[in-house]
Amino acid sequence: MGCSSSLPDRASGRLGGLNSENGAVNDAKNLRVKLVLLGDSGVGKSCIVLRFVRGQFDPTSKVTIGASFLSQTIALQDSTTVKFEIWDTAGQERYAALAPLYYRGAAVAVVVYDITSPESFQKAQYWVKELQKHGSPDMVMALVGNKADLQENREVTVQDGIDYAEKNGMFFIETSAKTADNINQLFEEIAKRLPRPTPS
Amino acid sequence: MKNDSHSPACTAHATQPPPPSFLPSQFPLHLRLPLPLSLSLSLSLFFDGSWRVQSRRGCVDRGAEKAIATVVGARGDAGQAGARVALGVRPGGRAMENADVILGLHDFLERMRQPSASDIVKSIKSFIVSFTNNAPDPERDSVIVQEFLNNMEGVFRKHPLWAGCSEEELESAGEGLEKYVMTKLFSRVFASHPDDVKLDEDLSEKMALVQQFIRPENLDITPTFQNETSWLLAQKELQKINMCKAPRDKLVCILNCCKVINNLLINASIASNENPPGADEFLPVLIYVTIKASPPQLHSNLLYIQRYRRQSRLVAEAAYFFTNMLSAESFISNIDAKALSMDETEFSSNMESARALLSGLSADVDGLSSQTDSAGDYMPRAGQMEMKNQSSNRTPATPPKTSETKLKTKSVPYTSNQASMEKIPSLSDLENKGATMLLKEDQIPSKLQTGGPNQTETVKKSQDIHSEPQEDMDRTDDRVSLIEEESLVSKSPLDEPLEPQGNPVGETS
Repeated sequence: MGCSSSLPDRASGRLGGLNSENGAVNDAKNLRVKLVLLGDSGVGKSCIVLRFVRGQFDPTSKVTIGASFLSQTIALQDSTTVKFEIWDTAGQERYAALAPLYYRGAAVAVVVYDITSPESFQKAQYWVKELQKHGSPDMVMALVGNKADLQENREVTVQDGIDYAEKNGMFFIETSAKTADNINQLFEEIAKRLPRPTPS
Repeated sequence: MKNDSHSPACTAHATQPPPPSFLPSQFPLHLRLPLPLSLSLSLSLFFDGSWRVQSRRGCVDRGAEKAIATVVGARGDAGQAGARVALGVRPGGRAMENADVILGLHDFLERMRQPSASDIVKSIKSFIVSFTNNAPDPERDSVIVQEFLNNMEGVFRKHPLWAGCSEEELESAGEGLEKYVMTKLFSRVFASHPDDVKLDEDLSEKMALVQQFIRPENLDITPTFQNETSWLLAQKELQKINMCKAPRDKLVCILNCCKVINNLLINASIASNENPPGADEFLPVLIYVTIKASPPQLHSNLLYIQRYRRQSRLVAEAAYFFTNMLSAESFISNIDAKALSMDETEFSSNMESARALLSGLSADVDGLSSQTDSAGDYMPRAGQMEMKNQSSNRTPATPPKTSETKLKTKSVPYTSNQASMEKIPSLSDLENKGATMLLKEDQIPSKLQTGGPNQTETVKKSQDIHSEPQEDMDRTDDRVSLIEEESLVSKSPLDEPLEPQGNPVGETS
């Protein structure tokens, strides 16, 4: 390339650092992570995200843009911040084959089911297997039983969720997007489990 | 030099150069010259870019405009009143933004004219020449371009010309560079592989067939979120994808389409007290809209954006919506009976009758908007697109029912014009007609365009320009060579006439 010879060598190296691309990671204190949501349609994936984003009282947050893509930054106690870029996926069966396009490059996968729907729990297990087969091996995975406010209609026991998550090395939590129960905890726990970049 | 691009932003706005589509035709000429690439060509390019190029901030986060679009969209139709509401509120914000961007690009171009920019100019030129001299290899080409853009941004960052500049200025310099380089390389890298051309054709055929019979229910779009009339606005955004060449501009067409859909979904959810829409609602509508819009060379366009949009800028929200478009492409190319919850026989008979229909129309569809050629066919393409929409309207089917009353009314003139065609238009045909009309009524859709540049305006302007393009180009070219010499050959201060507030060349000498 004729052009490259005229470039100072240091330029490219430095720029690489500044413009860290497609990055899960910007620097040791400020992480940016891609999080993908998987689960049957109707389990409340987008409600979880909206609750998470709205729950933080940030008037500038883009709550009016629908919940298919949202981002939210949280601060952890160790003074690091994590910016989640949350990618929702369509849960209907006919779109299942498209999921790899979305979870490619994701640092976190959150697999959601509805505690009142055994089918959705089955579907969640399908996603977990799928991710184990095709996802990145260092992806942080969480299993979430949503609609925990509907205790009287519960059909998937807490223990089933715990057992399955444990077997598959996942973090497990039950949430209610409706009452906001455990929503922030879910994201905080994920943030804590993220691999930290080693200071270079 | 009256229209010198160094004049203030507003003037630049008034003197729109021809669309980028003209430029590559001159490319071979450049190759033969010792100093092939012309900076002021890039000027006009950038300036043309400035109608649509705007800050990324503008593209992604314009809360206020979104809110406006939301309100307007809530009316659920393409009514003029709504358009006026939106247009009435928009100008303030947009003007500011354009000013920002124009200043940024303007600034960049001014810097390029400085003698000290000659190293940069040289790098860009030699890159384009050496790239064009190599045999095509899509994967490697993409890597090479990405590296070059990355390196040059690094150079800008350290270059005295940008000393003390804001990130935003550097950003717009990078955008300008990407647009310039890719417009130059476009004909070489876009849809250049026969496999891609084949895939484009297959995909177009698939969409042309499936759009004849697909219903929102086939994709799990619930009645709450069905709004075919308003989806026309989203279709229209997508159909603009071949009207531009820069990766960013093409990406913006996709993002605008997605934003229109998003706003419509949000309105529908508010109106019906449903949960806010997520991907379960969004993706099916995007797929439906894509099939109905049948954007030209979809596969090649997506590949091109993926390969040549600067990777550091294809992130976050833009990456998400782009992925949705990839996903729509993938779904459409694999559509079968099961994907649409149809029974095999029903699906194949639908496909058969759609095929029979289309074969009767093939003459009209031939050669439809392939973007591999360049130059003068810019507007003709748009014309073809309209023709195509109209021609495909001859589909026989049941007359429209359901909620399309508004559209039906609008379409009356078309329907009667086509009376001689012995066929009754189907619902989707009427939609297409609606889209055609929308393409003409350039003002309306901007109300739902929430983040992107006002592309309708762009189109309109380029139409205007089209009536007198050659002169402008000639003038530009003259200036080009002068600037070439100025910045690359002679660095003598005597060449002052080329400086921004430019005295007419004649007077100075």
